[in-house]
Amino acid sequence: MPSQHHQQINTRKVSCQPRVGGFLVSFHAMASQCELLVDCDDQTLAQHLGKIAATEAWRIEDKYSRYQQNSVCGQLNRHAGKPCKIDQETLLLLNFAEQCYQLSDGLFDLTSGVLRKAWHFDGSDNVPNQTDVDALLPFIGWSKVNINKQLLEFTMLKSMEIDFGGIGKEYAVDRTVLLLSQWLSENLLAKANSNKTIPFLVNYGGDLAVNGARANNQAWQIGVERSGLNQTNTTMVTMREGAVATSGDAHRFLLKNGHRYSHVLNVKTGWPVENPPSAITVAAPKCIQAGFLATLALLQGKEAEQFLTEQDIKFWAIRPD
Amino acid sequence: MQLIETTEQKQKQKTKPNLKGLLTTATCALLGTQAHAEVNTSDDKWRFDTAIMHYNEADRVTATEAIIAANKTYGNDEVLSLKLTIDALTGASANGAVAQPDAQTFTRPSGNGQYIVEGGETPLDNTFKDTRVQLTGQWTQPLSDVFTISAGGNFSKEYDYMSISGNTNLTRDFNQKNTTLSAGIAYAYDVIEPEGGIPKPFAEMVIAGFGSDEFDQAFADSRLTGDDSKATVDLLVGLTQVINRNMIVQMNYSYSSVRGYLTDPFKVLSVVDVNGYAQSYLHESRPDTRSKHAFYAQSKYHFGHSMLDTSYRYMTDDWEIDSHTFDVRYRVLFASGHYLEPHLRFYSQSAAEFYQPFLQQDDVLPMYASADYRIGELDTYTLGLQYGMPMDSGNSLSMRLEYYHQAPKSDGSASFGVLNDVELYEELDALIAQVTYSF
Repeated sequence: MPSQHHQQINTRKVSCQPRVGGFLVSFHAMASQCELLVDCDDQTLAQHLGKIAATEAWRIEDKYSRYQQNSVCGQLNRHAGKPCKIDQETLLLLNFAEQCYQLSDGLFDLTSGVLRKAWHFDGSDNVPNQTDVDALLPFIGWSKVNINKQLLEFTMLKSMEIDFGGIGKEYAVDRTVLLLSQWLSENLLAKANSNKTIPFLVNYGGDLAVNGARANNQAWQIGVERSGLNQTNTTMVTMREGAVATSGDAHRFLLKNGHRYSHVLNVKTGWPVENPPSAITVAAPKCIQAGFLATLALLQGKEAEQFLTEQDIKFWAIRPD
Repeated sequence: MQLIETTEQKQKQKTKPNLKGLLTTATCALLGTQAHAEVNTSDDKWRFDTAIMHYNEADRVTATEAIIAANKTYGNDEVLSLKLTIDALTGASANGAVAQPDAQTFTRPSGNGQYIVEGGETPLDNTFKDTRVQLTGQWTQPLSDVFTISAGGNFSKEYDYMSISGNTNLTRDFNQKNTTLSAGIAYAYDVIEPEGGIPKPFAEMVIAGFGSDEFDQAFADSRLTGDDSKATVDLLVGLTQVINRNMIVQMNYSYSSVRGYLTDPFKVLSVVDVNGYAQSYLHESRPDTRSKHAFYAQSKYHFGHSMLDTSYRYMTDDWEIDSHTFDVRYRVLFASGHYLEPHLRFYSQSAAEFYQPFLQQDDVLPMYASADYRIGELDTYTLGLQYGMPMDSGNSLSMRLEYYHQAPKSDGSASFGVLNDVELYEELDALIAQVTYSF
């Protein structure tokens, strides 16, 4: 994995090409293809917005990647067992994670990554035994971490690990929308003395958000690809506002004695959730909300769709054949 | 019943949380954006603290207390706190008379019965029994970036006592919230309505001829009215200062002025002869005003895995009671979120100017006198240990066990005759156990 990081550094380039109605800016960050669609006819402006987006995405990647030893995430993991100083942004993210943990009744947990030591979802029949899973459970659980808001300190048990993967990319999408909107209102709209903004769409590996409808109140039409699903399973999402995020991976599972083990793990038991959808795409005002809801829905297993329906949340689910 | 209902409420909230609303609030905090108009932030959850406390004095008072406190923060940082306390007290408490070599007979404060205290025993009235219900509420809200206002009320009722009070408090933050100044005022009104009425100051306890018409007449003559009241005004100013990342200090000054009936209608003084033998018992008499100054300082210091909380209080009043309280708590945090907190408290007070353990037959009756050991010279200490642990979903459980020792001391009055053979200043031990569950 560190080699992947190295590769990313080398590919930190932003390209900008014209498309119908505007420009497509693309770059690579957070192990994903990242895109920014800008509806304007000024390529310099599109390039500048793309630079703001990429800079923010790379900043978040460098700060919260678990593969980078010197990232905040890497440091928290290396110093597990001792209190670690954190900055305001990290505190806010951890607070958000804490609220997700509570809202999900303990199912959404940034410390669950430790289970990777037992589970390798490579399509094989390599199902771990109960002892291996049980041995990991003491090192999992948000209730075992302590966030000291006054002292800006984070403490977790030795051998615990934290992983921002569950919220990092979605957070980057929301932050990018925020920065681009701010830049536009400060630099363009204020000067032009107009309420007309430049429509854009941020898409980081299938987690995406828009700042509003396109010209003439046209909706954005996006094909959301899901990792491991073929082209016919691409979901066409129509949106004028808000965000969508996707959770799930059809390629990651284990098959043993005819039983399919999903890669969606219940942190309380350490075992896969039974019969979750292969992937779920959820719409919400913010990308980080959509991401959390999609993950939480998968964790409901066969009740995933019912769970979202009851909460009156818009979603698109795909189940294995 | 209350506890069960609140648990049900909580379960309802758990099964059907308004995910969208709660998430929006959480996201606004993260992304620093304004709350979306459609968000109903009053959906925020109530937090509950429930506690059961048991207090047991060896051979004296036993008290059991149940507390339910609820706390809710609204969207604009307004906080509503409500608390219900129910106490049940039973047992015996000292009536103020001195022990004697021989048995003594006393009339109960109600006039409805008598009790006999064996020779050598500190006289205790063993019919002490009461249930108290107390309800408090407090509303706190920011007025601006730097000003916060708070107002609250309290009502408590027991069989022969009622108390009602209100308070308001204003705080202002300075220096990027590192300094906070506060000022508050509180008013309380209490009514006591003892069974058997309010005794006249220094009226003699009527003992002879219990059950006869003469007794009833004499008892009635020893009483003033059925009830009496007092009013208390408290003023408070305080300063809280963040010293650095690890340390915070707080200093308060408060002034308290009480007017009204401050005497204890259940307490008497023994009148002894030159040989120390009790001849009669007079109801006590205290001044009808009292003003008190209190100075309080507290510091909290965070070490890496522990926290030291020390405080000192000095109080002085115009009854000439001066007291010092030292309190130290040291909380040791374990990585698992469990904690252990030893507690040490030491309290020492001087006697009120009118405190005396007994009256002498030939002395001129003073204006005020009380033999209540609680306003005599007194040292107490408390040793305790608390253990807390986090539970699922941010809930927490803690247990506290404390030992309390009370040592009244002689005010310097020379004892003589048979008083040399009895314990005038009996020490007292108590155990306090408490379990708290927060959810």
